[in-house]
Amino acid sequence: MDRAVIVDMNNLTKMFGGLCAVNNFSGHVLEDQIIGIIGPNGAGKTTILNMVSGIYPPTSGEIIFKGKNLCGMEPHKINHMGIARTFQNIRLFEDMTVLDTVMTAYSWRAPYHPIETLISSPRVGRFDKEIKEKSMHWINRVGLTAHANSVAKSLPYGMQRRIEIARALASEPVVLLLDEPGAGLNQTEVQDMVKLIQDLFSELHLSIMLIDHRMEVIMCLCEWIYVQDFGKKIGQGTPEQVQKDPVVIKAYLGEDISNA
Amino acid sequence: MSFILTVALSIAAYSIAVLGTFMLTGMNGLFSLGQAAFMGLGAYVSAIMVVNYHLPFAVAILIAIVVAMGLAVLVGFATLRIRQDFFALATFGFGQAVTGLMTEMVNVTGGAMGFSNIPRLTTPTIAFISLAVAIVFVWGFRRSHFGKDSLAIRSNELAAKVEGIDVFKHKLTVFVLSAAFAAYAGALMAFHTRYVEPAMYGWIASVTWIIIVFFGGRDSLTGTVLGSIILLAAPEALRFTTAWRTLVYCVLILVIINLRPRGLFGTWELSLKPVINLFRPKKHQEVQ
Repeated sequence: MDRAVIVDMNNLTKMFGGLCAVNNFSGHVLEDQIIGIIGPNGAGKTTILNMVSGIYPPTSGEIIFKGKNLCGMEPHKINHMGIARTFQNIRLFEDMTVLDTVMTAYSWRAPYHPIETLISSPRVGRFDKEIKEKSMHWINRVGLTAHANSVAKSLPYGMQRRIEIARALASEPVVLLLDEPGAGLNQTEVQDMVKLIQDLFSELHLSIMLIDHRMEVIMCLCEWIYVQDFGKKIGQGTPEQVQKDPVVIKAYLGEDISNA
Repeated sequence: MSFILTVALSIAAYSIAVLGTFMLTGMNGLFSLGQAAFMGLGAYVSAIMVVNYHLPFAVAILIAIVVAMGLAVLVGFATLRIRQDFFALATFGFGQAVTGLMTEMVNVTGGAMGFSNIPRLTTPTIAFISLAVAIVFVWGFRRSHFGKDSLAIRSNELAAKVEGIDVFKHKLTVFVLSAAFAAYAGALMAFHTRYVEPAMYGWIASVTWIIIVFFGGRDSLTGTVLGSIILLAAPEALRFTTAWRTLVYCVLILVIINLRPRGLFGTWELSLKPVINLFRPKKHQEVQ
């Protein structure tokens, strides 16, 4: 079966001063595909996601999405084009309820002029009601219905991860970037998270780019995996291929053990 | 006009400027030390339009607001992309430059001697209705998605950007609106005191408004309005302390901010819901 390439990354390089965080990375995501990027700490995985979501532009290379080069585009514009993400270190808003947090993802779609908010025009109220319903849908979908009116930051860590996912989904993306969705979760929570991602993937026809440390997350979700080490791509393939690749094993476990 | 009414009118007019600062500094965490310059601009432009060009009061005010908003767009473009602490410095410089211009352009503004002979056109009714309308405006703005966006940007700008909020455009909108509020307040005051001079619009006024917002509660519209009334009335109410007035005023602020770090009213908002519910039929209440 032939699937179109959704995000095409060509020769991405990111330098921070003299440090090369990502060196000449190339890869792509097909439609209806989950790809994973794995590698030890400092391998440049998050840097790749940051470049795709526009947090900083690559030093060189290009990211093609919907026929456009995303390099140098501002993060909100990339979001409007259909790429949403979550963060490894959860970034929620202080004092805001779960519902309000998710609703902010719809803000940019507001159909009225700012002046209309001053006079509380009916369109403002109608839009608010409409996005409240849509946001509730995503909150229900990640299983937080009962907590919709709780302050997001007061909820347990596992739930906060789900709020971030609900917020990303509220951008109604084509491509979802998940930065270590399993980090800081316990064993059962990780299993729930994997199931949630799998269900969302099959329901919503998303393309997903996933980063994780945990092999069990990556291995059971991803169709294709890129392995990074010290900013360089050292391997790629299906989960089975990657697991058997001696270079990958060496990067993960060290030379001596793999030889033993 | 009685003394009390005169003071009340000034409080109403200044509160409108404070509401602008509430949107900018309270809701969005942007510290503008040049807000008062927009007030000065509103005052001078409207006064000159009426006195020198004999335009009607309403038209003059409208021109003043448009000029202030236009300038805010320019200043915003130059300053809102930089970090927030530098924004405070840049607006400080802008504010001092504007008062400097007012002092130097003697043949237009009258220089340090001030601009006088402004007719008294601001009536208490105009001032009080203006304040009420301004409150309704800010309430509507805050209840719309702009209120949530403000809080989102204030607490995590990167996350706000990534979920699609155009942060720069948002800040520019808020900055321009707050400038319009300050300019309108300035125009009202000019046609009340009948005399304006550059010294009234320096950074001290801007800082005073920021203090008022934090005193009343940056997360409470009710708090800002009440805090504004309390602190603007305080200098008059504290007259009996004579030479100690400034000291007592400062101690009052310090005590409140230390006892209630989130401001006098925290996040509390005056709500009409309990009143409305009183008049609702019983059945309706049970469903809720």
